[in-house]
Amino acid sequence: MSAKKIARTVIAGGAALALLAGCSGGGDTDGKITLDVWTFGGMGLDEAFATYQEENPDIILKVTNAGGSDEQAQALTTALAGGKGPDVAAIEVGYMSQFKAQPQNFVDLRTLGADDIEGTYLDWRWSQGVAADGSVVGIPTDVGGLAMAYRTDLFEAAGLPTDRDEVSALWPTWDDFIDVGAQYREATGKGMIDNVNSAIFNPAVRQGDEMYYGSSDDDLVYDSNPDVKEAFEYALDAIDADITSRTPSWSEAWNAGMNNGDFAVLAAPSWMMTYISQQAPDTAGKWDIAAVPENAGNWGGSQLTIPAKSDHPEEAFAFIEWLMSPERQLEIFQAHGNFPSTPELYETPDIQNFTSEFFSDAPVGPIYANSVESIQPIFEGPQQRIIDTAILNSLSQVENGEEPAADAWSTAMKNVKTALGG
Amino acid sequence: MVLSAPPRSTSPRSTSVRRLTKSTAPKPRRRIRSASRMDAFAPYMYIAPFFALFAVFGLFPTVFTFYVALFDWNPIGGQTFIGFENFVTLYGDERFWNAMRNTFSIWILSTVPQLLLALFLAQLLNNARLKFANLFRMTMLVPYITSVVATTIVFASLFGRDYGLINSFLNLFGIESIDFAANTFASHIMVSTMVLWRWFGYNTLIYLAALQAIPKDVYEAAAIDGAGGFKQFIFVTIPSLRPVIIFTVIVSTIGGLQIFTEPLLLSSPGLTGGAGRQFQTLSLFMYEQGFGDFKFGYGSAIGVTLFALIVVFSVINYLLSRRITSDE
Repeated sequence: MSAKKIARTVIAGGAALALLAGCSGGGDTDGKITLDVWTFGGMGLDEAFATYQEENPDIILKVTNAGGSDEQAQALTTALAGGKGPDVAAIEVGYMSQFKAQPQNFVDLRTLGADDIEGTYLDWRWSQGVAADGSVVGIPTDVGGLAMAYRTDLFEAAGLPTDRDEVSALWPTWDDFIDVGAQYREATGKGMIDNVNSAIFNPAVRQGDEMYYGSSDDDLVYDSNPDVKEAFEYALDAIDADITSRTPSWSEAWNAGMNNGDFAVLAAPSWMMTYISQQAPDTAGKWDIAAVPENAGNWGGSQLTIPAKSDHPEEAFAFIEWLMSPERQLEIFQAHGNFPSTPELYETPDIQNFTSEFFSDAPVGPIYANSVESIQPIFEGPQQRIIDTAILNSLSQVENGEEPAADAWSTAMKNVKTALGG
Repeated sequence: MVLSAPPRSTSPRSTSVRRLTKSTAPKPRRRIRSASRMDAFAPYMYIAPFFALFAVFGLFPTVFTFYVALFDWNPIGGQTFIGFENFVTLYGDERFWNAMRNTFSIWILSTVPQLLLALFLAQLLNNARLKFANLFRMTMLVPYITSVVATTIVFASLFGRDYGLINSFLNLFGIESIDFAANTFASHIMVSTMVLWRWFGYNTLIYLAALQAIPKDVYEAAAIDGAGGFKQFIFVTIPSLRPVIIFTVIVSTIGGLQIFTEPLLLSSPGLTGGAGRQFQTLSLFMYEQGFGDFKFGYGSAIGVTLFALIVVFSVINYLLSRRITSDE
């Protein structure tokens, strides 16, 4: 008996038990089709789901929100390992490389007409959903884009310019950015950025055309790619110049820090605007948005996939096509700040004239459009996230004063090797 | 021990049962025989649901883990048989020994103070002069029944570097803020405190039950011999509680080696237990490898090792406890 067969037997047994316990799968009733859709928090799709439901009475959307993107990835792993899966599953881009390395678990969307809509989306964004064998595993949702959100009141107190164009002009390069941080520290005694991972390494490492992989799954270049080393050095320089407030992203202190001004600058993808305005409502009007050094960047986004076990792949694809059409993405952006991944919208007045009241009426539309248009497609192999975690952890250790900066690069490379070998 | 000598006691009991049924209902022999066969069968039926569920959800996964550990096993991809390679890699993996050190450190830091505290509280709760004794006893269980997630969130903010209550308190005395999550030892204290908080009430109640079972005349005799409260505690209470103390040590050893939820929640987002893996326990390492990095085989090898470790500790505990109890 092969391992797979045993696994299947086990799952069959489990399924039998589940049936005994009175659970039943989403059966189709009255000729209606049920689409099982798995999402996670912050995707901003709820209104769109409701609209679709209204317009398509023959389809029942059964939406499950797994929590965060980590929980969603783990839930999907468990389901796929058990030979099951929903009809539509959202996968955060950080996990995409791990899932698309096993494309047999998903419907190749080229068989459903994905080629026809490919041109609608940013090419580098589209490529994040394409597996090494060329099959299209997922359709892009929104794109993060990247800008630097900064506090005008704190900048003023530090004697720095507050106008967004002047601020952008302060830091055309990462070295300039670090210099501004040093000035801020001198004037206020505080760290300018939240942490080096989010504000420096993550954006900087994604500004080249290669990251940890060359052009295939076996072509690991994380230790030889000068872009990676350079981004790492920027982060170390920033720690050395003491421009960080050492506040980990997504921590309690981070949320509190946005309110209390513990840091003045934050790498902000488009969807982060909603997060800041929710976490720090009292700071409305004190934020503005400037360009990110080197002018290109992205953080976040997801792909919508159809697991191979779906009973209704055609209906699922039609749904995804509708949901991620430019019109729908524009609505989602206007309501939730998730930036569209469809460039045809960027020159329209809807985007060009879009401003955010919370961010001092900044023209966020053109700023984000600008940040995503110059990004190069980057090949991401199956171990992408594992390598990323090991490198980011090494930087955090230096930032927290737990490890000396001099050894950081060699420690990071050693940790990556261990993680890949295990 | 009771369990070691069952055969002797069975035969007299069964004859007495037969005698009893004969005298009360002598005539319909066939029905008696079938009824007694049912009687013999019934207990197995009663316990069958547990064993059936255990076989499916307990025994099978355990055995299957041993099997998976021999493979390079991607949960959503292929499986390749690689023999004991996972184990060889594991025992040379720095992260494994790190997780092992963390587990033992957190286990000792949480168990020792926890049991001492429980013993102390049980002694207080057993005081005859205590008013509202039941209220206090019930309260002990509140941390135990509170959701771990809620507990962890509250404790994480208490231990926060910038806004934590504990650091504010330390600052009052001129002590600089401690970054509990980043520093290895400080993070172990943080995790241990959460574990202690969750389990001390449970152990307190077990000790309390044992305390109430100690006959009063032993204390009276001790008092007559001139032993004060403290001496009574050392020479009467502790020796009488010995079997119960051993039981709680065994249970908290098994629990301590499997600490998972607290470090997982503190680790979020991410599964490494801090940037330096400073509070990643063996269970969390297993979860990271299996579900985070898609290495089921490697994760299973960690699981098997953890299993072996717990068996070894349980056997040591058992042998120790047998020696201690037979010393009496």
